[in-house]
Amino acid sequence: MTARGKRDEDATPRLLNRELSWLDFNDRVLDEAADAGTPLFERLKFALIVASNLDEFFMVRVASLKRRIAEGIAERDPSGLTPAEQMDRVADKAHAHSARLHDALHGGILPELAPHGAKLARPADLDAVGRAFIERLFHEQIAPALTPLAIPADREFPLLAGLTLNFAVALDPETGDGPPRLAVVQLPGPVSRLVRVAEAEGARHVLLEEIVRAGLPALFPGQRVGASAVFRVTRDSELELDDEGGRPFVESVSAELRGRRRSDIVRLEVEREAPPELVALLRERLDVPEQDLYLSPSPLDPTRSLAPILDLPAPEALRDPPQRPLPPAAIPEGADLFALLEDQDVLLHHPYDAFDPVVDLVRRAAGDPDVLAIKQTLYRTSGDSPIIRALAQAADRGKQVTVLVELLARFDEASNIRWAQELERAGAHVVFGVRGYKTHAKILLIVRRGADGIRRYVHLATGNYNDRTARLYTDFGLMTSHPDVGADASAFFNALTGYSDPPEMKALVMAPTRLRDRLLTLIERERRRAEQGQVAAIRAKMNALVDPEIIEALYAAAGAGVAIDLNVRGICCLRPGVPELSRSIAVVSVVDRYLEHARVFWFRNGGDEELYLASADWMPRNLDRRVELMFPVEAPEARARALFALDAMFRDNVKARVLGPDGVWTRRRRAKGEETFRAQEVLYREAVEDGRRVTRAAGIVLEPRLRPERPPA
Amino acid sequence: MPAENPDSTAPPSAPRPPGGAAPLAVIDMGASAVRLTVAERAADGALKILEEASRGVLLGKDTFTHGRITGPTMEATLKVLEGFRRLIDGYGVAQVRAVATSAVREAANRDTFLDRVRMRTRIDVEVIDGSEENRLTHLAVRDALGDHPALSQGTALLVEIGGGSGDLTILLDGVPKFSGTYGLGAIRLRQSLGSWKGPHGRKVRLLTRHIHNVVEDIKREVALTEVAHFIALGGDMRFAASRLLPQPDAAWRCQDLGREAFLTLCNEIAAMPSAALAERFRLGPVDSETLMPALLAYRALLEETDAQTILVPHASLRLGLLLELARGEGAAGMADLGRLVMASAVALGEKYHFDAAHGHAVTHLATRLFDDLRAEHGLSERDRLLLMVAALLHDIGIHVNRNAHHKHTQYLIAASDIFGLTSDDQAIVANVARYHRRALPSKSHLAYAQLDREARVRVSKMAALLRVANALDAEHMQKVWDVKVLRQADEWILMVEGTGDLTMERLMVQARADLFGEVFGWRLAFREGGAP
Repeated sequence: MTARGKRDEDATPRLLNRELSWLDFNDRVLDEAADAGTPLFERLKFALIVASNLDEFFMVRVASLKRRIAEGIAERDPSGLTPAEQMDRVADKAHAHSARLHDALHGGILPELAPHGAKLARPADLDAVGRAFIERLFHEQIAPALTPLAIPADREFPLLAGLTLNFAVALDPETGDGPPRLAVVQLPGPVSRLVRVAEAEGARHVLLEEIVRAGLPALFPGQRVGASAVFRVTRDSELELDDEGGRPFVESVSAELRGRRRSDIVRLEVEREAPPELVALLRERLDVPEQDLYLSPSPLDPTRSLAPILDLPAPEALRDPPQRPLPPAAIPEGADLFALLEDQDVLLHHPYDAFDPVVDLVRRAAGDPDVLAIKQTLYRTSGDSPIIRALAQAADRGKQVTVLVELLARFDEASNIRWAQELERAGAHVVFGVRGYKTHAKILLIVRRGADGIRRYVHLATGNYNDRTARLYTDFGLMTSHPDVGADASAFFNALTGYSDPPEMKALVMAPTRLRDRLLTLIERERRRAEQGQVAAIRAKMNALVDPEIIEALYAAAGAGVAIDLNVRGICCLRPGVPELSRSIAVVSVVDRYLEHARVFWFRNGGDEELYLASADWMPRNLDRRVELMFPVEAPEARARALFALDAMFRDNVKARVLGPDGVWTRRRRAKGEETFRAQEVLYREAVEDGRRVTRAAGIVLEPRLRPERPPA
Repeated sequence: MPAENPDSTAPPSAPRPPGGAAPLAVIDMGASAVRLTVAERAADGALKILEEASRGVLLGKDTFTHGRITGPTMEATLKVLEGFRRLIDGYGVAQVRAVATSAVREAANRDTFLDRVRMRTRIDVEVIDGSEENRLTHLAVRDALGDHPALSQGTALLVEIGGGSGDLTILLDGVPKFSGTYGLGAIRLRQSLGSWKGPHGRKVRLLTRHIHNVVEDIKREVALTEVAHFIALGGDMRFAASRLLPQPDAAWRCQDLGREAFLTLCNEIAAMPSAALAERFRLGPVDSETLMPALLAYRALLEETDAQTILVPHASLRLGLLLELARGEGAAGMADLGRLVMASAVALGEKYHFDAAHGHAVTHLATRLFDDLRAEHGLSERDRLLLMVAALLHDIGIHVNRNAHHKHTQYLIAASDIFGLTSDDQAIVANVARYHRRALPSKSHLAYAQLDREARVRVSKMAALLRVANALDAEHMQKVWDVKVLRQADEWILMVEGTGDLTMERLMVQARADLFGEVFGWRLAFREGGAP
């Protein structure tokens, strides 16, 4: 978008539009897919992520815009645009973005993949063996699952499920010169979208829709099948977008509001080769405006159709070099975690550090006779999670186990309720979230009886207790037995389980009660220091920066001369580097192999630096509508490591993009002779080095076993 | 004057439990919230708080408006207590003490409610009265303030504005001289406005007027102008402290709040309707309603004194309960309680211009008899203290009228607040004092008949001892300084040591040993001189 909007000629909006900023973010991911320097299979992965992100964006954000437009809301957003104006710009940008995605896929990635066993063929290209196989497959497995639906002009269009693939088929009129009749065939969901077909020599892949297309005449016996086209509709999902490693959340929408909605199709995609008359007919019957029509090359649903290619065997050079998560250097092998945490805090940086110590901590707690209670929030986790197994075991052994579960979207509720019930059967106390707020904080509390009384061990994190995402997302976790943190953790759980009103905390800061105020106070404090002529600085890393109040506070601080470095992976509504507004603010985004996910906030505070980690982004929903935690990092080693990582994110000159005053992101240019610095690689190397240093320092110690050791339970 | 030491025959104090002993838990069901504290005894004996939880409930609002706890409030409270039960179990807590104050005490359906609590949560709640609350709170205040000058020099006012009442204690050099419970509870103050809807400013003026009237009543009993130290407790005062002072560290004992800063904050808060308070300070619905009335009540009291700072100690009813629970039923606790109770009783005696020398002499002799006859009467250490108070105050009714003064004594004691005694305790003391002369206990006496059987027996035993002890100072001249009972086959002999002519005492003992004979089954003979 340009600095000067169509509407407002005299002022640059102070904030950038969040929807457009999100599309920019997806564009940065797309850069990775388009970048010939990225290994080929990773390029495909990025492309599929872009496609899947885009689907969610339409289901959630575009749907929300359309809802506001339908309700006649003309209120301007913080960037000065009405919903209708936003929709126009979003549509323009999304069309260009889609086109770019398809260029990347069809112009580069797919052709380059062809020699590596990922060649896509049409049924007509196959040899006799292949064609015979396809015909049998169609008649025996696919056709029985297809239900062709004729749709007479006076009949309402059937409700097609969102994101399913469908064929629109034009049938010649029954009588002479009438208009062609329209029929729809929905592709079966459970059948694999990419079919591997063996031929006399080798094998190729055929898209499911091509197999069906070839078989269409057989579905309409006695009729003449005219033009056909694959299409897909995207519907308002009533979901809230979420980047926490699962499906989006159900947003509660009143039945009344839902009833008022005229049409909930937010996007219509039709394959590019479709005849214009058929497209026009579809558009008319589905009541979709021109703006929402996307003509794209097949496959229309690359995420599902092409994902199997990612699992094909490939030469090493075509993928990222494997990076095995490392045993954290701070935890000596075989160490007693409880004893270790008596004297020190342990900072884990995933995925460089393995997630195992966290699982291990819960397991140990479950088996330790001195442990009295374990309390944990579980936001997103798989049913088969080792943490859940350990918690169930602990409850079974009579420990008090309290689990605060935030349910996933409705699709997954059944499986979640199943394991939640298993936990309950084992004797755990399961609480399903807090009314009105989503519990986003990630915290684990272990209460243990020690030699000198009760001791509490706490693990706090920026990411979920999910061993799967811990390999893909960068997150920090802090283990500590600091008494203040322990007391706050107890108070936090009491508040969440309804035993207590939200407490005043000593070390932790909780949203929705205090986090917003605290962040504003911290920013304000830097501003005051700057005004008094002190050196003042803020460095913060987060996934999204949207909150207008926080942004205005940052502008005010910048106005006073506070040096502000922001590392914002995704949406950023702050406009950096604008004279008189934000000259001293710089915004960088790093999009690389791992999804940047850690939230790290550093305040110079006149030299008495403060460093915080948090589960919350600086967005209204995190600060006001979610239960979140921010926690300080005080132990020197932990601080040093977190600060090194934060610094690395700003030093990156390979995967970093810089946001300009005009709201445009550009890849950071290296100065002549400047060495490359790729933060995620540096951090992994550093973790490897740390491990070596520890091993070297420890030397070789032969430790006799004084009694037979019991295998861990 | 003989020294009084109620501890003289108590067993040596029990050894302190070793470090890492099972944690303790206390629960306080107040007018606006149910609160839990879990603590453990550290190796050095100090209490370490493990967990504190507090959840707002509308017990006070219900009771003070409808006279009973409504269904939804009951259910909400039960839910919270079930949660507390889980927390308690999670720590493997050994001892739990749960108390309820005015909101539950005054609810017509309190028995049903407490029974449901017991059935659902296995928590036995003890309903305590204002003076017990004062005593426990004072225990915590002393622990928090230690040797602070407020507890060693001059007059201090200890105030807590709760939901149901305002509790005041006057301490002279740290010893409670007076304590009382007044209609300054923040929820009650709120309710006093009823459903009156009007501009906020007028609401504040009405409240201020109402508070002023109560403070005028207090001034008739207590010389607030002499107060040098203003010690304030309670959630609303802690809130004020949190607004005006930096957050204290975990080991804080007491914070000093400047008078002017506090008054400014009061004005600021009084100017805001409760919805604005809730929004601005993120208070819960209950807290936002009680904050303003509570601070106005503190302010009204503060303005009657010259205190320049408000001391806000880290003390509460729950901490008092914990200290007592940690200390156990040991003798040290009883000795301490005895000292405070007697100081308060002396203050009450002085108020009615009693004959202090006589009172102390009778107390001494009654205690000697009590200790000598332990095997026979089987009464407790607490009863010993109650007997001492009755003995000290048995004649205060003379202040009203010499005729039937024992009856005047009875109602004066029953109607007073004696620090550290519960209302049940005071009913016993009043009865014992009443029977120091004239008629013997009888079920036709209303106050006596109202006691349960076990209490009536205790009253009779103590009154029997008091009648004899009083007879031994018949002339109010403190001629007798010791007494012992010699058990013989056919009769018990009262061995009396004293100086001067004891004829009057002998006659009186013969007359007043009537109840003694009835209670213990022995005739009592009088013999002068030490042991044979």
